[in-house]
Amino acid sequence: MQQRRELDQSYTNRKLLNGQLDTPKWWAPTVTGLGILVVIGLLVIAMMVNKGLGVTGLGRPVYWGLFITTFVFWVGISHAGIMISAILRLTQAEWRRPVTRAAELLTVFSLLTALVFPLIHAGRPWRIAYWITPYDIGRGIYPNIRSPLIMDPVAIGTYLTGSTLFLYIALLPDLGNLRDRTTGWQNAMYTVLSLGWRGNPRQWKMQTVGGILLSALMLPIFVSVHSIVSWDFAIAPAVEGWHSTIFAPYFVIGAVHSGVSAVVTMMALMRWLWKWDDFIRPEHFDALARLLIVVATGWMAFTFLELIFAVYGQDAPEIALREMQMFQWPWNLLFIIFLLTGYLIPVPMWLFKRVRTNIALMFWTSILVNIGMWLERFLIIVPGLARRTPFVYTWEAYRPSAVEWTIFIWSFCWVTFLMLLFSRFFPLVPLFEQKESQVFTEDVTIGRAKVPAIVREAD
Amino acid sequence: MTSGATAPGQEAEHHAPPAQVDADIIAHELIATTTNASRKFKTIAWVLGIFGIIGIVALVLKFLDQGSDSTKWGYVAALVSFLLSITGGAPMVAMAPVMAKANWVRPVTRIASIFSFAGVVTIGMLIPLVAILPPLVTEGARRRTIWMEAPDYSPHIWSTLGLVLLFITGIMLFYSAALPDFAAMRNHSTGWRQSLGRVLARGWIGTDNQWRTLRMRIGMFGTFYFLILVFVNFLITTDFGQSMVPGWRDAIYPMYHTISSFQAGVAGIVIALWVARRQMNLHKYVHLDAFWSLGRLLFALTLLWVYFFYSSFIVFWYGRSANDIATLNLLVKGPMIYAFIAGTVLIWFVPWWILIWNKVRRGVNGMMIGAVIILIGLLLDRIRTFVPAWSVPPERIHEKWLTVIPETVYPSLFDILIMIGGISLAAMIVMLMTRVVPVLSVWQVQEFNLLAKPIKYVRGHATLVAKPD
Repeated sequence: MQQRRELDQSYTNRKLLNGQLDTPKWWAPTVTGLGILVVIGLLVIAMMVNKGLGVTGLGRPVYWGLFITTFVFWVGISHAGIMISAILRLTQAEWRRPVTRAAELLTVFSLLTALVFPLIHAGRPWRIAYWITPYDIGRGIYPNIRSPLIMDPVAIGTYLTGSTLFLYIALLPDLGNLRDRTTGWQNAMYTVLSLGWRGNPRQWKMQTVGGILLSALMLPIFVSVHSIVSWDFAIAPAVEGWHSTIFAPYFVIGAVHSGVSAVVTMMALMRWLWKWDDFIRPEHFDALARLLIVVATGWMAFTFLELIFAVYGQDAPEIALREMQMFQWPWNLLFIIFLLTGYLIPVPMWLFKRVRTNIALMFWTSILVNIGMWLERFLIIVPGLARRTPFVYTWEAYRPSAVEWTIFIWSFCWVTFLMLLFSRFFPLVPLFEQKESQVFTEDVTIGRAKVPAIVREAD
Repeated sequence: MTSGATAPGQEAEHHAPPAQVDADIIAHELIATTTNASRKFKTIAWVLGIFGIIGIVALVLKFLDQGSDSTKWGYVAALVSFLLSITGGAPMVAMAPVMAKANWVRPVTRIASIFSFAGVVTIGMLIPLVAILPPLVTEGARRRTIWMEAPDYSPHIWSTLGLVLLFITGIMLFYSAALPDFAAMRNHSTGWRQSLGRVLARGWIGTDNQWRTLRMRIGMFGTFYFLILVFVNFLITTDFGQSMVPGWRDAIYPMYHTISSFQAGVAGIVIALWVARRQMNLHKYVHLDAFWSLGRLLFALTLLWVYFFYSSFIVFWYGRSANDIATLNLLVKGPMIYAFIAGTVLIWFVPWWILIWNKVRRGVNGMMIGAVIILIGLLLDRIRTFVPAWSVPPERIHEKWLTVIPETVYPSLFDILIMIGGISLAAMIVMLMTRVVPVLSVWQVQEFNLLAKPIKYVRGHATLVAKPD
């Protein structure tokens, strides 16, 4: 199925730049509302820093709770960009074109958000200065380089730098386009940002080569980031449920599952809000849903292996933990919701083409996936710490406080706020990709049938 | 090294658009490959057959001589795992790109699905292992197993059934995709091949309905095959590997085995394609594009192998629990240290260094060398895990973790003959199958030509690839 339409270049420019040149009416009130919520969230964070972690539900023995779960969740969402943009670019999947920018953007903003959580979770965020400039070095006090507090920011920082470059290089032709269509301060801004883009053959060649090189370079980083996050847990044999060799690929494939689902959510919103029906078409949702079926099923296989090998060891504490995780209140309810929303509801639905091409259904099922994926992280992190063990001298159940929930909600408002802000100044669908796709696709006649075809370099 | 890996004319050929050959000529030429076996081909088939018979005799003698001592069967277990990897992985590797509508894979699918037939050797080699594998409960003690409270002989039954099911599904996958070629044999061949074509074509005349059913069957059996392959890898790695070592709990190991199975499958296909291109003079149909794409796939799988290995290794290494230390001592540091080093170098480092170069992937010989190295590395890697696992004495199999690391078990003459025989037999079966059906799928090669058209694009050449739904 190909729903390609012949679109002339001026129409493409006008429609895809409508966020920048002709801001929609809903934009200002929405951004203002989100801005207020973001400020409230920041005030709550400030209050927590001032009062200390006592205002959260964290306490012995559960010191990793909602914050770390949300941190892992946002790192997972960040896998959307590279999965969609880099892998699909390298495999020359034609349907990726309208999706790439939004996916890359989601990567950058979700990484920025993820980085906030370990920082505030540590309780005294100003002590980040010790990591950056360890002034106590003269007294032999070094940052512990084996600590997750060092490993995670280094991995995420590298990923963030690479992703930002990736986003920026792909943005260059569109910045040149905007420079030529704006006046005043906006023109000055785009002039600086477009780095003298004129669209000559040499610039196009460098932009293409840069994109492909960054795609290949980003892939190992993409895999390493969530692997390193997973090893925060997996290398700790003391906590039941964490010490599993499968965690690295399990986290990575889970991240791809949630990241690609988040892209589906975004695409549906973009189509509805900016009325980009000509550019974001049901065929794109269809392709993403097919990809999701494969990814989700792979992820389910890893989930199965993780569970079966937990029980395989037949160690009493591990079995007790799994019993608690799956059969005891309230964990059992969360476990059932996780299974239903993460796989059992969306994937069977996606098997039907009618669902895959129904944008509203794709929107809601993609949200379901991310509810499930957030719960998955929560069920991995918290029960292992919360289980009553013989050598813990104080014990209390973990219940996230209102402060934690507020900061959790803040993170969603913050990412959405940043996305909308970006959309005011930069196009969310790459114009040049859209035009390139018009040039590279055509129909050929084979026998009596008209078949969609793609021009490929004879490499 | 890299510049020498590609012959001067090959790069130009790669950049050229695919050859446009008439459909009738394709059918005629490819069907002719089943009859015109060279003397070299026959000699190699005979030699492999003799090695195969020697291997079977050695297997029987070993069973009679050492049938009661499981610690002596590690090399046979490694061979079963190795053969499962190649013969099971190859058809899947050919199916996945078909489902993704990759055009380059069309001439490759037949050669890949023929590997399924060699799965019969894997089943044959498994039979003595099943007889020797200890039951789940011995002297009242139950070893760690995925079977929990299931009957004592569950691993024996389900692993065998799984392998047989994989074999049957592989044959069904082959047959589903070969129907139009059997019809072509019926129409264009002579003698017993024509009779065989008449029987197996089942009245195929190529109606719209038949084509629709054919594509549906390929999709269905392909999906089913993939699921069974993952399941069988899971069973063999746990029942015949992990479960034999007290304390070895490695959730990633079945996936590690599956990934390296895909790697072995691609390597096997590359070697078979090289033979088809060079020895059977099929340059016209085995285009360099196939090697280029398989090279990228092999490179990715090589990197994936090291990722899966490292993901497991680092957790044991950092974990440092008694289980972790014992497992590393057995599988990495201990009796198989040299197999580990050599295996890692050959399955990952050397191929990675070879396949990273575009010129190698665009060529034929460099790819073939890379594939052979990977298969040698894979065999060493299987020996590294299965031989120490089987070397644990049955009386220690129920312990919480391994307290005494067994000595290195070196292969006996029987083991060497069985390994050479098993691999030879598998290779011979693949060779003989090319006498029964065309080594490249006639209809898929025709479709390849129909869907990919060379065009002039701006100042250069390009290919217009049609993507039917």
